[in-house]
Amino acid sequence: MPRVCIGLAALAAGLVITCASAGAETIRFGGILPLTGPGALIGTAEMRGVQFAVDQANAKGGIHGNQIEVQFEDNQAKPDQSILSFNKLTDLQHVAVIFTGYSGPTLAMAPLATRKKVLLVNAGAQADGLAKASPYLINTLPTIGGEIEVISRWVAGQGKKNAGILFENGAAGMAGRDDYLKSFAEAGGTVVAQEATQFGQTDFRPALLKIADAKPDVMLVVITAGLLQMAQEYKQLDLKFTVAGTTFFADPSTIADPSSTGFVHTQLRIDAPPDLAAQFKAKYDTDMEFFAKQYYNAAQIVLATLDKVLAEGKPVTGETMHNALFEIRRFQGLIPLEFKTNTASVPMDINEMRDGKDVLLKEIKLE
Amino acid sequence: MLALQLLVTGLVTGCALGVVAISFSLVYATAKIFHVAHAGIYTLGGYLAWSLMVWRVPLPLAFLLPIAACTALGALMQSQLYARLARRRATHLVVLIASLGTLSVIQNIIAAVYTPNILQFPLDWSSRMVAFGPVRLNWTQLLTIVVSVAAYAGTMWFAHRTILGKRIRAVASNPMLADITRLQPQTVYIYVIAIASALVCLPGILVPLDLGLQPYNGVTPLLTATIAMIAGGVGSITGAFVLSLVIAVLQNLSLLVMPGEWSIGVTFFIFVIFMLFRPTGLFAAAR
Repeated sequence: MPRVCIGLAALAAGLVITCASAGAETIRFGGILPLTGPGALIGTAEMRGVQFAVDQANAKGGIHGNQIEVQFEDNQAKPDQSILSFNKLTDLQHVAVIFTGYSGPTLAMAPLATRKKVLLVNAGAQADGLAKASPYLINTLPTIGGEIEVISRWVAGQGKKNAGILFENGAAGMAGRDDYLKSFAEAGGTVVAQEATQFGQTDFRPALLKIADAKPDVMLVVITAGLLQMAQEYKQLDLKFTVAGTTFFADPSTIADPSSTGFVHTQLRIDAPPDLAAQFKAKYDTDMEFFAKQYYNAAQIVLATLDKVLAEGKPVTGETMHNALFEIRRFQGLIPLEFKTNTASVPMDINEMRDGKDVLLKEIKLE
Repeated sequence: MLALQLLVTGLVTGCALGVVAISFSLVYATAKIFHVAHAGIYTLGGYLAWSLMVWRVPLPLAFLLPIAACTALGALMQSQLYARLARRRATHLVVLIASLGTLSVIQNIIAAVYTPNILQFPLDWSSRMVAFGPVRLNWTQLLTIVVSVAAYAGTMWFAHRTILGKRIRAVASNPMLADITRLQPQTVYIYVIAIASALVCLPGILVPLDLGLQPYNGVTPLLTATIAMIAGGVGSITGAFVLSLVIAVLQNLSLLVMPGEWSIGVTFFIFVIFMLFRPTGLFAAAR
């Protein structure tokens, strides 16, 4: 008889555990990022930022007992590959949220996100078109137009009235070029030359020489790769004009190189607490750089939104996540930010690269 | 001054491309293989040299060992991949796809081992500048010119003055007759790809020494070199080298009259012109 009682108790306990775990499921999100190709440096940092946040959440028991899983797809920063990955994640995996980066791929996926009501979370791309590309696309950082307006006013205010523009021949670069043309003129300056380069290119000499021939006071730069090589070639050619840019300049190897001394740029303010940065370094054997922080922050926003959706007993869909995010509006991740529109407003600084460091010149609050 | 600097920079680029073109031309003219994986060997040579320099291997060895490794890899590709496909009577398309696959494998292994970051060679002297009047070049660019011209001269001497060189030219002109006369074409193909791999390793090291290493940067030089090879005349070493110089200089000088994003279009424009008016190539008759 005692054995029967023990057996029945064990069976009851097993049934309780099974029922409890049946209520908890794995919630799957997607990530479409460049994991190979010229964009892989940034894409890998972005992936690690998301995964780091998700792993931390899972280690604490998940969100309302649900484990989170992110399925990453490699798009090589190509729009066509992004579409294929988007359809795969939504049609086969039925994900409600997808993390994305790079302007071209994000703009390509935006109409699909609208049609399929999937929340697209961008924490790295900055083309101006992203602000209105889709009601289901949220940008956790400002578009490049805001930064360009600030840096254009700054350099014009320093007496640099003639500018050359060096831009990447892609969505972000061309948007940046157009913003510079508008903002620098509004600040009282004149654009005297503009030259395009290709994404992943490292030979900037012909473009630098042509810009230099127009004798600008400043060169305004919108490139997302090869910045260190551009800085070194600028130095080798003994060019004298100031070089100015945006948060795209946030490359530690460029900042550390003496060739970049005197470069000025806007810098979106985001920082990780030392213990968090140490944990990231221990896990991935690399520092938690700008894009890793951005995507960690974005993942925190998504997890906070998921928490609200689950607390209200709603199904996890793109629509419920979208609505919940805008009901919350203000988030305190690595930085406080607010979604008044699809694009968050965040504070920024103007920095100058000097003696291997990025030195603060001025703090700016972006409205 | 701008035109002169662009001209000289174009000559430097053209010299490096010229070596890629003559090495690719050697393979294509002899073995009739569109050896796209040649771009992978070009890339691999640079990364091997970088690794050796980071490990503080003496500089001459850091240049020579990657050349030896790439030579061996090229020979392996011919003997274990292309020769096997030939024995199975694979079509040119199948061989091209196999070569593309090999290129993809090499590039992705490099990216996995070294990361996709742009890597810099740890050599201070390589970026030091030398001024020749209004023109500025760094030591790497000067070395590129010297090594490339030496490689061209060496290849010409080899092709015309050595027994193996003459054997290669014989196989290239008539593989069937070469087989009958026991020139052993299959063995010659191994020699050719090995030599071509050694040659392409030279710009594979020198160009990234100046511009940085990336895993996926071998395809563009190979494409331009292919155009130079065809426009110069398939099988003509001089044609491939000269047309590489012409294309690179014109690409640079085109910036004087048009925006930079059109400079690649200049390459293909030159190609189309040659195909319309001189489809056999500029130096085809001078073989």
